[in-house]
Amino acid sequence: MAGFSGVLKLTDLDDFIAPSQECIKPVKVEQKAGRGVIRIDDSDGLDVMAEPPKYEKAKITLNDCLACSGCITSAEVVLVSQQSHDELYRILEENNKKVESERLVVVLSLSPQSVLSIAAKYSMETDECIQKLAGYFKSLGVNYVFDTNFARTFSLLEAQKEFITRYKEKDSNPKAIPMLASTCPGWICYAEKTHGSYILPYISSTKSPQQVMGSLVKDLWATQKGITPDKIYHATVMPCFDKKLEAARDDFYNEVYSTREVDCVITSVEVEQMLIRDDITLPSFNSSPLDTDLSSGSMITSHPGSASGGYAHNVFIHAAKELFDKDQDKLEWKTLRNTDFREVTLQVNGETVLRFALAYGFRNIQNLVQKLKRGKSPYHYVEVMACPSGCLNGGAQIRPENGVSAKDLVTKLEEAYENIPISNPESESKVATVYTEWLGGGDSEKVKKFLHTQYKSIEKTTSALGIKW
Amino acid sequence: MTTALQTLTGHKDRVWNVSWNPQGTILTTCGTDHSIRIWAKEGDTWTSKNVMSDAHSRTVRCVAWSPCGNTLASASFDATVNIWDCKTADIECVATLEGHDNEVKCVSWSASGSLLATCSRDKSVWVWEVGEDDEYECLAVMPSHTQDVKKVTFHPSLDILASASYDNSIKLYKESNDDWSVFCTLNGHESTVWSIAFDGSGQRLASCSDDRTVKIWQEYQPGNNEGIATPNNEPAWKCVCTLSGFHNRAIYDIAWCRLTGAIATSCGDDVIHVFKEQPQADKNAPMFDLILTIPQAHTDDVNSVSWNPTVAGLLASGSDDCTVKLWDFTHIF
Repeated sequence: MAGFSGVLKLTDLDDFIAPSQECIKPVKVEQKAGRGVIRIDDSDGLDVMAEPPKYEKAKITLNDCLACSGCITSAEVVLVSQQSHDELYRILEENNKKVESERLVVVLSLSPQSVLSIAAKYSMETDECIQKLAGYFKSLGVNYVFDTNFARTFSLLEAQKEFITRYKEKDSNPKAIPMLASTCPGWICYAEKTHGSYILPYISSTKSPQQVMGSLVKDLWATQKGITPDKIYHATVMPCFDKKLEAARDDFYNEVYSTREVDCVITSVEVEQMLIRDDITLPSFNSSPLDTDLSSGSMITSHPGSASGGYAHNVFIHAAKELFDKDQDKLEWKTLRNTDFREVTLQVNGETVLRFALAYGFRNIQNLVQKLKRGKSPYHYVEVMACPSGCLNGGAQIRPENGVSAKDLVTKLEEAYENIPISNPESESKVATVYTEWLGGGDSEKVKKFLHTQYKSIEKTTSALGIKW
Repeated sequence: MTTALQTLTGHKDRVWNVSWNPQGTILTTCGTDHSIRIWAKEGDTWTSKNVMSDAHSRTVRCVAWSPCGNTLASASFDATVNIWDCKTADIECVATLEGHDNEVKCVSWSASGSLLATCSRDKSVWVWEVGEDDEYECLAVMPSHTQDVKKVTFHPSLDILASASYDNSIKLYKESNDDWSVFCTLNGHESTVWSIAFDGSGQRLASCSDDRTVKIWQEYQPGNNEGIATPNNEPAWKCVCTLSGFHNRAIYDIAWCRLTGAIATSCGDDVIHVFKEQPQADKNAPMFDLILTIPQAHTDDVNSVSWNPTVAGLLASGSDDCTVKLWDFTHIF
């Protein structure tokens, strides 16, 4: 199961067997009365033969798989690979053959972690890389290339707001605090399958940048451009396969137009494969600036905090100001048990009023969840990420060259990340405009619909067929 | 002498594991009947001192005492490991380690008593740290095997861990930079490796398998005299002896006595064998003699054998026939 986070690999630890042998998903077959087939062998008996019943081809969709915990996902892997760069190539090829009026508008959103991964591989500067990538994808037929940091601003602002609300009701609602970050799908899938309804109330309802981007592209932008959502094909470039599962969730499917908010997720390693396949030397390819409608700018900008999105950082700073009127700038993170588990606190009059943590990787998630179960978690907010070292070390990031350790590569990517110009989420005027014009203000129904989501626990179905010895 | 010293009855279903406390005064057994039973000697006979009948909600697969002798860990098919405080006769469950995805097969304490290792059918090996106030924190989760992991055991003195799996391999783990990882994989068995045991020095490992052989593995440190390559400057382990032709079925457990150096095996052919190394043997090509065979030691598969850590020659065995037997082999030493 290459490409997935360690956390997803651990919860889905069965052998790879073709779905047809192992799948226990009950497939509904329409029972039609009457038509039977009577065949009697050899001997001279009755030989009434009606038409053998024609069965519909049994199809299992990716969603069926996500919802069922039975066969543990060799089927998941098979299906997820269908949402891949091959699929993107196919769509682009088909699209290019269509007449202008029939064509889909193809949009691609680049995540900063993927851009950095590719930049490191081809020894390019971040800005240079993103422009070359834009150039490359446009040459394939993509119409617009954005980066996801604009969308991330919304995720950060919503997370900040949500935290304030939860913190204020912590005495009356035992499940309000700690608030757990929601942007990592590896964590979400694990939580839904393994800890179910116990842990879900703690998880933030804020959507991840990928899915916010999906809403922006297929609703706001589509409306602005006068195109219906089903005429847009939205692909994203992400650092892990877990994001493919996220894009396929039911909650992110637009029923009215029968279209997904994100149609296809390709990953850093897949982009590498595409470049090799097309025999492209990226540094010498044509540049193209980012399209600015939904980008953080014509050049990529970032947010302060961790390279996995900076959630803990931004929520902490906002909370410190909003709740305690304290201006915080640089946060002092204290490494606890290991470098993937760190905490920061705010003291007011000798009392610790805010205690935030970063918990990356399975062992730290385990300890966090177990402590929570026993009621012994001292935290108000935890930025949970499935991959040790965070998104820069995602399951589908490009592997380091020979001789370079994974740790060294991550350090290099972190440095590059910190060099991206920063803007604070609150100070982006374009974002403010979107809130008022598109979403109708701070807490409207539209905000809830487009920027928030929900979770449901997945029951483990222990059928004998599902057990692999 | 092929008759048992004593037969302990009480378990209502197969006995999966027998384990002595470090002082050698208590025998603990567990099995499919969800119970853990504590046996101690009263006068000349071993009697049942305590029965923890609902220790878990499913089969209890393995029990292990901490080196201090105050704490007992039990691993169960219910996917949890329970920690029992045994300082007084009032045994209490003080912690439950959750996290494995399905049946936990084995639990082992490190020599210092500050670490615990568990392994499961979910193919992973977990290392836990024993904290204050019965707080157990997960230190590492290693999904290195490709199949069910049957056994984990710590090195007799160092924080080195070994695991045996249905995937026919044995893996060795140690910690570096805050993280545990595999530093050596031992391949050679042709089928499931059911159990492994370090000798007293920790430089030798014995393994037993479904392929009906016992293998003895020797450690070679970097810079060794024999010229064995040690890639990545990690110790290398080589198979220096294979004992075949002695067992007729899968060998389920192996125990290497720290006092006498004798190796006991328990087999699916209901037999217990005891082997001893020839004294003048070459370290790199040791020879082991079969010094004792107990045919029909039990009336069914023998799942577990364990040497008493303080009384030389005292062996305990547990079987699918629901009994536990004690054997006195002092005459052969």
